[in-house]
Amino acid sequence: MRRYVALLLAQFRVSAAAAMAYRANFVLEGLLSLVWIGLALLPLLVLFEQRESVNGWDASASLVVIGYFTSLRALLEGVVNPSLNDLIARIRTGELDYVLLKPVDAQIAVSASHYAPWKVVDLLGGIAIIVWALVRRGEMPTAGQLALGVMLFGAGAIAMYSLWIACAALSFRLVRLDNLMFLLSAVFDTARWPVHVFPGLWRVLFTFVVPIALITTFPAMGLLGTLTPLGALGTVGGSLVMLVLSRLAWRAAIRGYTSASS
Amino acid sequence: MIDVRELTKHFRVHRRPPGFGAALRSLVRRRYEQVVAVEEVSFRIERGERVGFLGPNGAGKTTTLKMLAGLLHPTAGHVEVDGFVPARRDAAFLQRITLVMGQKSQLVWDLPPSETFALNRAMFDVPRAQFRETLDELTALLDLGTLLDKPARQLSLGERMKCELVAALLHRPTTLFLDEPTIGLDVSMQLAIREFVRAYNQRHGATVLLTSHYMDDVVALCPRVIVIDCGRIIHDGDLRGLVKATLPDKRVSFTLPAPLPDGDLERLGTLLVREGLRATLSVGERELPGVVSHVLGTLHGTDLAIEDPPLEDVLRDMFGKRRRAAAAESAP
Repeated sequence: MRRYVALLLAQFRVSAAAAMAYRANFVLEGLLSLVWIGLALLPLLVLFEQRESVNGWDASASLVVIGYFTSLRALLEGVVNPSLNDLIARIRTGELDYVLLKPVDAQIAVSASHYAPWKVVDLLGGIAIIVWALVRRGEMPTAGQLALGVMLFGAGAIAMYSLWIACAALSFRLVRLDNLMFLLSAVFDTARWPVHVFPGLWRVLFTFVVPIALITTFPAMGLLGTLTPLGALGTVGGSLVMLVLSRLAWRAAIRGYTSASS
Repeated sequence: MIDVRELTKHFRVHRRPPGFGAALRSLVRRRYEQVVAVEEVSFRIERGERVGFLGPNGAGKTTTLKMLAGLLHPTAGHVEVDGFVPARRDAAFLQRITLVMGQKSQLVWDLPPSETFALNRAMFDVPRAQFRETLDELTALLDLGTLLDKPARQLSLGERMKCELVAALLHRPTTLFLDEPTIGLDVSMQLAIREFVRAYNQRHGATVLLTSHYMDDVVALCPRVIVIDCGRIIHDGDLRGLVKATLPDKRVSFTLPAPLPDGDLERLGTLLVREGLRATLSVGERELPGVVSHVLGTLHGTDLAIEDPPLEDVLRDMFGKRRRAAAAESAP
């Protein structure tokens, strides 16, 4: 455990140092993050200008979902995506060999190998949106709701990570996987909306097949106090099942790794 | 100690003829072939030995090294390194070995090598005091000086390889798999790396298995060589034995006091090189004493040197004979 904490810290240090080696880039990316957050809010504000609520979701409740979405996207674009893009490149060049030669779990080592540190702006932005939404709502969550909201944020992060790791496991066989990653990112984008705004079949798809609902809608409902205990259990259980499945996919992929030739 | 018994690795590869039509057809129906990379290879290397692993491109050297390092799962056979089965990738096993690949890099491109070293220290859980001590030792042995603080992308190929070696050895492995560690380096850098490998082997009693296209590396470092061709071992023994068995003739070089027709020299042996007054002959072992006394006594030759043929020639001859034998066998 101590080794993994040291490893994650060392990787963060190296990655942050690499990012800061290009100072102008660092500042620009931070500013761009702010612009993106603003743009992400725009469709929601336009929609709720026209109507009070959509399928039971009003503007401030939907803003909480956007807050969750922005924070999780910060994790995705700040840690998961850079790391897995790096993994795909390493599989193609055979440099993954050097990861597999280390006495640490390769999945942990590659999952947090690269960071985009300026995404911390997005993470803070997401939290600010949630706070703003709660203030607008005029109703602060109880301590229990807050604890559930934080716990389900973790569950959502695990569910999202599992989807991406399963996709990365595929890249061992397919090697060129950029398009699948783009598709997954596009699907993830729907998580900015509460799952209930989608019509029937889509809602089923986003709850059970590509469980986007686990990532943002249910955690937001947890914070707002509208999630049933069964829903909370389902969110945690579902994310853990996804984690186990993605772990199995990863292990199968490592067993079949053929390494690029010298 | 490395124990390899009947190690085999087959790859399934997709084959298609060239051309757009074939590319289209391969979308619908793919043809796969089994490629034999390594076939029933067996050898044993004792602790502290330095062994050269030789063979033409595609012979199966790198595949074997990768199986020994636990990167590839063997199709069949048994491998044990220091009592561990590599494919299981036990942490204790990975702590004891290292694999250096001359064509691949583990240094973080945009940062100084010291950052990669710190990362490896965390991964191998090396105590800080030991890390400092090892780094100082390796820095001194490789004469790294200020290189540690230069971004990896600004290092020359030779400097980069030195840093790759440090990154690979910081956890003080006792088994070194070196795959072309001197590729692309100039002669002085090759020499430096070679001397370093020898010093590390002697200081730490480490086992070294080395592949290299530069025969000088192998001649200088490895008393024993294993030669592999088409996935099979065709020689395992000392270097002299290999040379003796394949090209037993010696090379005799000398300088003549005055010009002499080629014909006169060709009567003594096969004339290999003639540059002005300097000549090199290939002479059978039995004829050697007579030729030497003739060159020195009758021809008054000077600067006489007797050498084994270069390892390149020995291997070329060896692989050439095998190819011809295989072609003759498959001919109707």
